[in-house]
Amino acid sequence: MTAIRATNLEPASHPLTGRRVLVAEDSPTTHEILKLLLTQRGHQVDIATDGEQALEALRRNHYDVALLDFHLPKMDGLQVATAAKSELGGRDLPRLIAITADLPGLLAHTGGCENFDLVIPKPLDIYRIGQLLEEQAQLRDEQQAEIVEPGPQPAPAPASVRQPSAIEGLGYDFLLWPQDIDVRRLSARAMQATLGDPRFDAILITQPVSVEALSSLWERKALYVLPIVDLTGTLGQMADFDGSQLSKVDMERLGGLIRDFQDRRARLHRDLLLSDKLGEQLIGRMFVANRPLTAALDPRYCHLASYDVPLGRRLVTREAEVLCEHGLLKREFFERFHICPACDSYRLHVREECSQCRSSNLSEEQYLHHFRCAFQGPEADFRRGDQLICPKCHQELTHFGFDYDRPGTMIVCGSCGHAASEPSVGFVCLDCGAHTDSDVAATRDIFSYQLTDGGVSFAEKGGTVLGYAREALRFADLPLELVVALNAAAKKYNEDKTPFALVNILYRKESEIVAEHGARRFAQARDLFIENLRAALDKPNTVVRGQSYDFALLEGIGPEQAQVDLDHLKEGASRALSFDLGAQFQAFGPEDFS
Amino acid sequence: MWQTASDGITYLLSQSGESLLRLFWFVAIFEIPRYMLGFIAVTVLSFCPKTARPGAVDDDRITVLIAGHNEEDSIGRCVQSLLEQSRPPDEIIVVSDGSTDRMPEKLRQLQERGLIQEAHCTQVRSGKSAAVNLALGRATGDIVINVDCDCTFDRHALKRILEPFADPRTGAVAGNIIVGNATDSLVTAYQAIEYMISISQGKQAADFTNQMSCVSGAFGAFRRVALHRAGGFDAGGGEDLDVTLKLRKAGWRTLFDAGAICYTNVPETFSALVRQRFRWERDAVRLRYRKHRDFLNPFSAAFSVRDLAHELDFIVFNIASAIVFPIYLVWLFVTYGDLALTILIGAQVGMLVLDSLTFVLAALVAPRVKALRLVPYIVGYSLFNGLVMRFVRLAAYLQEWVFEASYRDTYVPSKVHRVRW
Repeated sequence: MTAIRATNLEPASHPLTGRRVLVAEDSPTTHEILKLLLTQRGHQVDIATDGEQALEALRRNHYDVALLDFHLPKMDGLQVATAAKSELGGRDLPRLIAITADLPGLLAHTGGCENFDLVIPKPLDIYRIGQLLEEQAQLRDEQQAEIVEPGPQPAPAPASVRQPSAIEGLGYDFLLWPQDIDVRRLSARAMQATLGDPRFDAILITQPVSVEALSSLWERKALYVLPIVDLTGTLGQMADFDGSQLSKVDMERLGGLIRDFQDRRARLHRDLLLSDKLGEQLIGRMFVANRPLTAALDPRYCHLASYDVPLGRRLVTREAEVLCEHGLLKREFFERFHICPACDSYRLHVREECSQCRSSNLSEEQYLHHFRCAFQGPEADFRRGDQLICPKCHQELTHFGFDYDRPGTMIVCGSCGHAASEPSVGFVCLDCGAHTDSDVAATRDIFSYQLTDGGVSFAEKGGTVLGYAREALRFADLPLELVVALNAAAKKYNEDKTPFALVNILYRKESEIVAEHGARRFAQARDLFIENLRAALDKPNTVVRGQSYDFALLEGIGPEQAQVDLDHLKEGASRALSFDLGAQFQAFGPEDFS
Repeated sequence: MWQTASDGITYLLSQSGESLLRLFWFVAIFEIPRYMLGFIAVTVLSFCPKTARPGAVDDDRITVLIAGHNEEDSIGRCVQSLLEQSRPPDEIIVVSDGSTDRMPEKLRQLQERGLIQEAHCTQVRSGKSAAVNLALGRATGDIVINVDCDCTFDRHALKRILEPFADPRTGAVAGNIIVGNATDSLVTAYQAIEYMISISQGKQAADFTNQMSCVSGAFGAFRRVALHRAGGFDAGGGEDLDVTLKLRKAGWRTLFDAGAICYTNVPETFSALVRQRFRWERDAVRLRYRKHRDFLNPFSAAFSVRDLAHELDFIVFNIASAIVFPIYLVWLFVTYGDLALTILIGAQVGMLVLDSLTFVLAALVAPRVKALRLVPYIVGYSLFNGLVMRFVRLAAYLQEWVFEASYRDTYVPSKVHRVRW
C-alpha cells in the first residue's frame, strides 16, 4: 500500500503511446520499482539483470529507450552501449540512458559519456524518470523521422569562427549558449545538467542573446542555479560575470564566483534545484547567488528597470510579490516610475509645456510694473533698444525700485500664445508617443527583494518548512530502495502482523555546521553517522541516506521501541564524529501508513 | 426734559410755512431737493419703463478680469458663480497680486481643471490698477468685465450687463451691487439700505439722465478698445471712478443696468466702514478736483453740460452739505438756545419721513433687494446716514484737502504713491 501511495503521488500525465523500454539493472529493488513505475505509465518494460542479457535483448528486440546501469555483472553498461552502437545502426538503436551512482567512474572512461544520450545519477528520482524517458523517446522519434525523410536540412549555423575566450581555457566545465543550450534545444551535456549534476560550473554566453530567449533557462530544471558568464558584454547586470574584457583580477574573481556558486548550490535543497516553479526557482537563484534580487535602472527596456537575473522585469516582479506575501522575500524600495497610460511603458520624456496646447515651445518673460501709470506688462513691450519705455505713458523707466519693478514672470507659449505664471509638466511616451499630464499619470514602485530568514530556510530545507507539505513523511523524499523495503515490510505486516518502524532522522544542527564548516564537512559527518548507526543496530534493518532526512526501517519492533533503541544508540554513533549533528529520531509505525 | 420737548413741539406746530423755512433752511436747501430728484426719478422710472434694449451682439467675446490680493478663500466661489452664468464668459483671467496666502496654488488648480484660462501670480504687490492692467494686456475679449473676488453673480448678470453694449457709443456699464451680508450686523444693514437707495435706485436715475459717473470696481463691463484707448487703469485708489471719468471725457457713454446683479460683502464693523469711506471720499475729492478738474473749467475741451450736472450734484449734495451742516448746527444753537435740540429732533423726524418714503420707492424699483427685512433698520439708518456719515465725509474731505491723505493709503503700495499723480 505504501508503494501504491507513492505512485499515486505521481501526476497523471501519461503519454498517449506506450514505449518499449529495456531496463538493465542488477539490483532487484531498483528494477522492481522501475518496472512498477513505467508499466503504470503505459510502457512495456523488459528487464535484464546483467550486461550480456541486456545486449542480447537489444539485438533481438526494438526498444525506444534502454536504461543501463553502469555497474552490471559480466559486461558493464558502457560496454553494452558501445557494442550496441557498433552492431545496431540508425533505426534499431534505442536512446541509451546510463544510470549510475558512480558518476566519476563512468566519466573516467575515455568517451564514457559520448556513448550515452543521457546519464542519470543515482539515487533515482522516481518522479522524473518516467518523464525523462518519454522525452528521450520523443527525441528518438524526431531523429528517426529525419533519417526517413532526409528533407531540407536546417541551414547550418553561420560558420562564424568563434575565437574561444581565454575563460574557456581555464579548465571549468562550461555549458555554452547557444552551442549547448538555446531556446528549443539542449545538448546531452546540458540535459545532464538539468538533472542537477553538480559537475557543471557555469553557463557561458558566447553570442548576444535577448532576455526573452535567455529566460528559457528557467523552463529547464537546475540550469538557473548556474552562474552566467557573459562573453558578449551585452547582458549587463543580468549576467553574474562580464567576461568580455578580462584582466587577471577578473579571472581570480571568476574562480571565486564559481566556487561560491558551487558551495551554495550544494546547500540548496533538491526540491528547489529541480523545481519548475518560477517562484521557487527565484528563491533558489537568490540563495545560490547569495545576493538580493537587485533592481537597477536599465534604459533598454520599456520598464526602465531590470533585475540581476536573466528574466524579464515583469515576471520577476510578479513572482517576487507573491513570495513577499508568503513571507519568503522582503521588499526594499528602489524607484517610483510614472507610467504611460496607453502602452504601460515607463520611458517617458519629461517636459515643461503649455497648459493649453501642450506645446513645449515656452519662453519665460518677466513683466514690469510702471508705478506712475500702473501699466504692467511683459518686458518686451517696454523694450526700445537699450531703453525701457512705458507703452502706456511713453515715459522712460530710469530707476529700478523707484520708477518700476519686476513683480513676476510669465511663461508664454510660442505655439498658441497662452501665458501662465508657471508651466505645466507633462510626459510624452517614447514608445508610443502618447501624452500624459504629470499629475494624472499613474505611478508604480519598483522594489529590490531580499530573502527573509524564512526564504533562506526554504532554500535549505525545501518545502517542509512551507506548511503545504508538512506531512510527517513525504514519499518524494524517500529513496527508492526504502520505498521497496517499506512495501515489503507493509506486506509482511498485513500477512502476520510483524511490526516495523520507519524512523526519520533529522539533523537539527545542520545549518549551524554548514555555516561553520561547510556543506562538505557536514555531509561527511552525516555519512559516518549513518554508517555507525547501521553497524550498531542488531535487528534486520535498512538505513538509507535521503535528501533532507535520513531514514531507518527497523523490522520486528514497533515505533515506541524503535525510538527508545535509537535514542540509546545515538550516543555511540555520534562518538567518533568531530561535531554534534543534533540528530533526532521520529518513529512511525504501520498505523501511520494506513 | 419732557417739558422742554412738549414746549418744542408746541412751538414747531405753531409755526407758519415761512417761519418753518427759516428754521429748517438746511433741510430745505440740501435735503428736500435731493429727495425730490429721487422721487422724480423713481416716478419717471416706474411710469416710463425702459424700452427693452436690443441684445448684445452674440458673437462678442467676453473676458472676465479678476485681480485679488490674498483671496484664497473667495476666488473659487467667485469663478464658480461666473461659470454658472446663462452667458458664461469666454475667458477668465485672474491675477494674484503679490498674494502671500495660498491663492497662487488655488489658481493653479483652477487652471488645471480648465475653469480659468490664465492665471498670473506676482511675487510683489503692485496694486489693483496694475494687476488689472496686466490682465487687460492679456485679454482677448471685445468686452472685458472687471469683478472683485468677493462678489458672486446672479445667473443672468453677464447677459444683462452686455445688453447696453449693443449701442456702439457705450463704453462702460456698471452692474447693480446688492449687499450680500445685510443681516450680519447693524452696520451692514444700514449699508444695505444705502446701497439700495444710492446704487440700485440712484444709479438707475443717474443712468436715465446720463449721469452715471462711477462704474464700480466690484462689477463693471468695459468695451475693450475704449478701455485700451484710455490707457487702462491709472495708479492710485478710486480707479473705478477715475476710469469712468476718463471714458466720459473721451466721449463714451457710461451706463447702469439694474438687471446685472452682483452680491458683495460690505464692512461689518463701524471702524472698517469708516476706513473704507475715508478712502472713497478722499479719492473722490482727489480725482474730481485735482486730476479731473478740467470738467469744471468752462474753457477746457473736457467741459460739457452733461458732466457739469454730476459735478454739481457732488458739490452740492456731498461737499457743501457736509460743510454747511456744522455751521447750521452752530447757528441753530446760537439763535435758539435750548429750543435748538427740539428743532433738530423735529428736522430729524421730517427726514425720517422722507427717508422712509425714499426707502419704499427704492424698494419698488429694486425688486431684487429683500427690502422687507430691512424695514426695522430705517430709523437707525436715517440717523446714521444723516448725522454720523455726514461727519465722516466732512472729516475725509478736510483730511484730503489739507493733508492729501490719499497719498498715504495702504490700499496702494507705497512705491506707487511716491511717483503717481
